[in-house]
Amino acid sequence: MTQATPAPIQARTSPTQSAVAGRLADIVGERHVLGRPSELLVYNSDGLPGYRRQPRLAVFPGTREETIAVVGLLAAEGLPFVPRGAGTGLSGGALADDIVVIGLHRLKKIISLDVENRRATVEPGVVNLRLNKYVAQYGLLYAPDPSSEAACTIGGNVAENAGGPHCLKYGVTLNHVLAMTVLLPSGEVVELGSRVGERDGYDLRGAFIGSEGCFGLALDITVKLTPKPQAVRTLLADFTSIDKAAHATSAIIASGIVPAALEFMDGPTIRVVEDSIYAAGYPRDAEAILLIELDGLEAGVSADLEEVRRICLDGGARNVKVARDDAERMKLWQGRKKAFGAMGRLAPHLIVQDAVIPRTRLPEILETIRTISEKYGVVVCNVFHAGDGNLHPNIAYSADDPAESERVHKAMRAIMQACIDAGGSITGEHGVGLDKMGYMEAIFSESSLNAMCELRSVFDPERRSNPGKVVPVHACKEWHAVPGGRLRSAAMSSVDSPEARPLEAEPSHPSAT
Amino acid sequence: MSTEAVVAAVRESAEARSPLRISGQSTWLDAGRPVRAGRTLSLGGDRGVVSYVPGDLTLTVRAGTPLSEIERVTREHEQWLPLDPYGSSDGTIGATLATASAGPLASNFGLPRDLLLGLEFVNGRGDIVRGGGKVVKNVAGFDLSRLLTGSWGTLGVITEVTLRLYALPATDRTFVIALSGSEKEISSLVRAVVSSPLTPFALQLLNPPAARALGLGEHAVCLIRFGGNDAVVRAQVSGLSQVARPEEVEATVWTRLRQLDGNAHTTIRVVSMPQRFLAASARILGDDVPGIYTCIDPRRGTLRIVVGAADRATEDDAPLMLGSADFARDGSESSEVIFEKLPPEAWPTVSPSVVGDKLSQGIKRAYDPHNILNPGILGD
Repeated sequence: MTQATPAPIQARTSPTQSAVAGRLADIVGERHVLGRPSELLVYNSDGLPGYRRQPRLAVFPGTREETIAVVGLLAAEGLPFVPRGAGTGLSGGALADDIVVIGLHRLKKIISLDVENRRATVEPGVVNLRLNKYVAQYGLLYAPDPSSEAACTIGGNVAENAGGPHCLKYGVTLNHVLAMTVLLPSGEVVELGSRVGERDGYDLRGAFIGSEGCFGLALDITVKLTPKPQAVRTLLADFTSIDKAAHATSAIIASGIVPAALEFMDGPTIRVVEDSIYAAGYPRDAEAILLIELDGLEAGVSADLEEVRRICLDGGARNVKVARDDAERMKLWQGRKKAFGAMGRLAPHLIVQDAVIPRTRLPEILETIRTISEKYGVVVCNVFHAGDGNLHPNIAYSADDPAESERVHKAMRAIMQACIDAGGSITGEHGVGLDKMGYMEAIFSESSLNAMCELRSVFDPERRSNPGKVVPVHACKEWHAVPGGRLRSAAMSSVDSPEARPLEAEPSHPSAT
Repeated sequence: MSTEAVVAAVRESAEARSPLRISGQSTWLDAGRPVRAGRTLSLGGDRGVVSYVPGDLTLTVRAGTPLSEIERVTREHEQWLPLDPYGSSDGTIGATLATASAGPLASNFGLPRDLLLGLEFVNGRGDIVRGGGKVVKNVAGFDLSRLLTGSWGTLGVITEVTLRLYALPATDRTFVIALSGSEKEISSLVRAVVSSPLTPFALQLLNPPAARALGLGEHAVCLIRFGGNDAVVRAQVSGLSQVARPEEVEATVWTRLRQLDGNAHTTIRVVSMPQRFLAASARILGDDVPGIYTCIDPRRGTLRIVVGAADRATEDDAPLMLGSADFARDGSESSEVIFEKLPPEAWPTVSPSVVGDKLSQGIKRAYDPHNILNPGILGD
C-alpha cells in the first residue's frame, strides 16, 4: 500500500481545487482545463441520456507526455478520474460524479500503418471511422464497426470491447487488438500484448480490453487490419410478422452460413427511421426486416446468397431484395446505424438495452418482449444484431413524466430478467457501466465478482480509475477490509457511496436532473 | 471429478501448503516444465457435455473432455470446433485452453482465446469462479476467460468451458504444392500463393524433413486446405492452379502433421510479422537436418521448430540450421520466442519467467495466494 496523502479536494470552491486545476493547466494549457459548471455541462452524460453526473473538472491532454503527466499528478494527489473518449457509450460508463474527467479526444494521431503486415498503431482518440477511411485506400478495413463509428474512438472501443453489426463474422474489439501501451492509474506505463500477435505469459491485453476504464487508459493501440472482401452483397428481407423473421434468423444461423452481418428491425423501428432524415426505403408496412450482409470470395458469396434468399422465402418473407450497388447498400445500412438517433423523434429520453440470448430462443424472447410491452403499455422498438442474439429493445419516453418513467423501467427490468432466465448475458457490447451494475449479481456469483474486484485491484490498487462502475462495490470482499486513509477521502467517498442496488431496485433509473 | 471435488482438493492443498500439479490427460507433462509439486490433480476423468444446443452453435463441456470427444459429438450435428492444437486429439479441452495451444486452423479461425465464450475455474483458495457466459457475445464484467487462457493452471483449475462452434464446411479439401528449385523460385512461389486473395482454412510451409515424415516427397512443401461451400472451394482450387501445381492429398495429413510433435525433444515457436516470414521462408525451408522439422504459418506469423527425440540435434548440426536460427536472431525485438517444450534441465536457463512483471505477479498473488497451483511452470 502506498503512503497516505491528504485529500486535496474538500469542497467545490476550495483553494486546493483551483490549485489542482492550475497545475493541470500548467501541463496541458489553460484552455484545455474546464472547471466551471456551465462548461462541464456537456460532459455530464454519455450516449444514454437518462443518466447525469456532473464532473468536478475536465482536462484534455494533447500529447502522450501530457497524458502521463496528468495521470501522474492525479496519482500524487490521490484523486480519482474517469477516462473518456467521444462520450458515445451507452452504459453511463464515462460519467464522472464530482471527479476529474480526462478527455482523450485530442490524442488522435494514427501513429503508424504497416500495410503489408496489416497492422496499425493509433492513439486512443482516433475516431473509428477515420481509421477505416484511412486504411480503405490500401484495401484494408478495421472490422469492429459500432453504430457510433462516425464519432466513437478506438480508445473507447477498447474500454468497452465494442462490437457492431459486422462482429458476427469478424469478431469484436478483443479479437482485433494485438497490443497496447497502457497508462496505469498509478502513472506507470506498461506494454500489454505483442505487436506480432502472440506471446507467453498471462493475457493482460485480453484482461484490459473491456475493462471499461477501470484498469487505466491506453496511450496507443495496435490493431489488426482485415483485407477488404472481394465481394459484398446486402439483402433486405421483409416479413409480415416478427415471429417469422425471428425463425428465419435462427434458420440462417443453423444453416452454418456465417453472414458478415444479420440485423433485425421491427415495425416501430422501421417506421421511425422512415419518418426521419435517415429514411432508407424500408417497407413501412413490414412488421420486421432482416438486413443481411454476405461477404468473401465472389463464388462463395453468390452461392450463400441464394441459400439465404431461399431460407427467408421459405420462412415466409414477403420479399427479398438485394442491393444493386454500393450506394444502395450504404443507404440500407444508414437507416440501421442511425436508428437510435431516429428514435429521438419519439421522445426526449431513450432506454437502450443490450442483452444477449441464445440464438435459438429468439422467437420466444421477442414474443415475451411483446407481452411485457403490452402489460406495461409502452412501445418497444427492437433493432438489434440478430445473428449474435444481441438484443437492443429500446423504449423512447419522457423522464419528466414520473408515471411513464416507472412503467418504462418496470418493463425494462422484466425484459432483462427474461433474457437472464433464457441463459443470456446482460450486455453484449455496451458495457456494464452504471446502467447494468445492478444486474451483475443476477449473473455472477459473489466469488466471481470478487475475482473481478481482485483483478481490478492489481491494475488500480487505489480504485481511482472510473470508480463506482462495473462491479458493485459491496461485492468486493477485500475492499471492505481497506481502512480509511486516502480511500475514504472526501473525493472518493462521494463516488463510492451511490453504489449499485440489487435487481429489485432501480438499476436503469435515470438520476434526477 | 466434479467441481466440488476440485474445490476440496484445492482447499486441502491450500491448508497444507502442498502444491498441486494440474493435469488433463497428462499430455503436456513431458514438456519438461519445472513444476514444484508433490501431488497431481488430474481432471482427465471429468469429461462430458454439459449442454449443447446445435442451433446456438455453442457447446459447454467439462474441462477434462478430450478434443476427440468434442469432435465426435459436434460432428453428429455437422458442426465442429475448429481448434487443432499440435499433439494428440486425446488431449483435453481444459489443457488446450490453459496452455493456449493452437494449430494450423488458427490463421483462419483464431486462437483459443477467440473461440472461448466463458469458463468456470477454481482459484487457489478453492473458490468457484465463472467468467464470461454461454452466449456468443458478452461484455459483462472483467474478462476472466481471456485471463485464464494460457495461464497454464497457475491462476485456477479450469473445470468447465463454453465454446463457439462452426458448421462443418460442405467441402473440405487439402492440397500439397512441392517447393523445389532455387531459393528465388521457392520464394516467388510462396509469395504468389500467400499474397493471392485465397482464403484457405490452413496454410503451412514445411521443410524437407517434415515433408518426408508426412510422406509428401523429398522437397519442402506448401500444405493448403480449403473449406466452404462447393463453389468457393472450386474457385480457390482453380485460382491456386494458376500460380502453382497443387496435388490433392487426404485430409489425414493434418493429423499426422499435428503428431510430428509426438516424441519431440524440443519445440520452439517463433512469432513475428507475416512479411518477415515471406522474406525468409526459402532460407528457412532450406534447413534439412533429419529429425528437425520446421513449419511456417506465414499468415499467422509463426515458425515452429520441432526437434525429434530420436534425432536430437547436436552442435555439429548447427551450421545446417542457419535459416531458422538466423531468423530467430535477426530483428529479435520484433519477434516473440516461445518455448513450448524443452528438456527439463534447459528450462531455468533458456526460459526465464514469463510472468515476472508486476501485474502478472499481482494477479498470481490474488488468485493463488498460497502458490499451490502449478508453481514454477511459467517461471517465478
